[in-house]
Amino acid sequence: MSLVLSGIRKRFKDRDVLRGIDLTIPNGEIHALVGVSGSGKSTLLRIVAGLETLDAGSVTWEEMPLDGVPPHLRRITMLSQSPLLFPHLTVGENVTLATPNRSREEAEAWLTRVKLPGRYDAEIHELSGGEQQRASFARALAAAPRLILLDEPFTNLDPGLKSELQRLIRDLVRELELTALLVTHDREEAMLVADRVTLLATGQVLVTGTPGRLSETESTFGDFVEVSGTLLPSTDIDVSTEPTSDSIVLVRTFIRFGHHFGEYRRPTGEYVILPRSESFKVGETYYLRQKQGGI
Amino acid sequence: MSRLLVACFVVFPFAGLFLTFPTSPTWDEAILNTVAYVVAVALINVWLGIGTAWWLLFTESKWKAWVEWLTFLPLFIPVLASMFGMYIALAQVGLIGTYTGVGLVLLVTTLPYSIRLAYNAMYVIGRPLLEQSLTLAPLTRIGFVLFPLMKESVRTIVLFSTVIVLSQFVLVQLIGAGLVPTVTTRLYQAYGGNDVSLALQNTWVLVSLPVLFYIGLGAMFGIWIRLVKGRLQ
Repeated sequence: MSLVLSGIRKRFKDRDVLRGIDLTIPNGEIHALVGVSGSGKSTLLRIVAGLETLDAGSVTWEEMPLDGVPPHLRRITMLSQSPLLFPHLTVGENVTLATPNRSREEAEAWLTRVKLPGRYDAEIHELSGGEQQRASFARALAAAPRLILLDEPFTNLDPGLKSELQRLIRDLVRELELTALLVTHDREEAMLVADRVTLLATGQVLVTGTPGRLSETESTFGDFVEVSGTLLPSTDIDVSTEPTSDSIVLVRTFIRFGHHFGEYRRPTGEYVILPRSESFKVGETYYLRQKQGGI
Repeated sequence: MSRLLVACFVVFPFAGLFLTFPTSPTWDEAILNTVAYVVAVALINVWLGIGTAWWLLFTESKWKAWVEWLTFLPLFIPVLASMFGMYIALAQVGLIGTYTGVGLVLLVTTLPYSIRLAYNAMYVIGRPLLEQSLTLAPLTRIGFVLFPLMKESVRTIVLFSTVIVLSQFVLVQLIGAGLVPTVTTRLYQAYGGNDVSLALQNTWVLVSLPVLFYIGLGAMFGIWIRLVKGRLQ
């Protein structure tokens, strides 16, 4: 076991943000913390990064306590919603600064891996939002971390870039055998990227499990999770061939953790990812309906 | 036309200075003291100003509001009003008429402005970006990130504290008890004694110091940035 969070409590003024979080994240796992705003997921991430103190509990890595260890000694890097690149440095200089040996060659190699070859000397403002986020990811990897924290890094990206960066991050984290903790309010994102998902609500862990298992067994999974930015009413959503007032079109199919999923487009233009029957066909219209007994 | 009028208003008070240069400038104790105070107060202002602003931005301490209130209090109370309180306090510990006493008073006068300037600069840079730098080792963080990001604020703090120090006459005279000569105290004596040559020399010192600091700091920061970027190539 690598990262262990035990009995973590945090209080801001008169509000309990975290109320005894216990969580164990094995080495090499991509773990998603899912919950609505105010559920405490970002605070938990900041505590792991050493940017926030905890009121009670402990954070350990390979049984070594991290409490009181300054952020630069934790070997933990963080990727946020905004790229947060240092504006007085070029793209490559930002990455070189993070490398242990301040090596330009190493930085250029990381830039190539995040599909930004030859952009070492580019100024930050010359890059698009997605490119900046990729450069920020290169910087996070260049620091040779043992744990990478992803604080809703896809939030400000358009759908195309979002799925591209999701794949890139997931694949590189796996290839480098890093442990990653992803914070998101987006269920589909958690399902696509993470090996296991923990649902947080009001500063407590509701449940932890694989996306597939949670999707099929936990009625709570949809209760508070936004789907493509919209909180679906109730929660137990299913896809059916029986017509209802809420139609969706299947645009893409995929298998994740042995389960069949589909990406559907709603008439409002939003995309949702939900389980699908193997017989469903791309381009066909299906219907959302409240499921009896939970998803 | 209006611009010309404004330019005349600005330039006119200095016209005499540019028409008459001191003929035989001498490097005396007053100038030495002034330069020493300016350098020491500016350096301490940069150090404590940025340090306190950082603490105010990041701390969760329950004392934060009190510290914030105390550090910004001198901004609301005119120096002349608080001066007598400082005089009594320093007299209690025997610092009236000493170089240390004058230095302390100059610090008390300038530090709140420096903290406010540094705090505002950090607020504009943004806590997330500053937090991102926390993953770097302290010296790397300061040299490669914080200093370059805050160089303009550092320059403003230095110039602001310099000009404030150079503007103090009553404060230095009262706390220094006439025993700590500076350019300003010498200048007032020269005015009183109608010694134009000495007044002119001291006035030129007052004008030159901030200008030299401005140019010197600009050059130093430029060199530093080039060095930093050179190390990352």
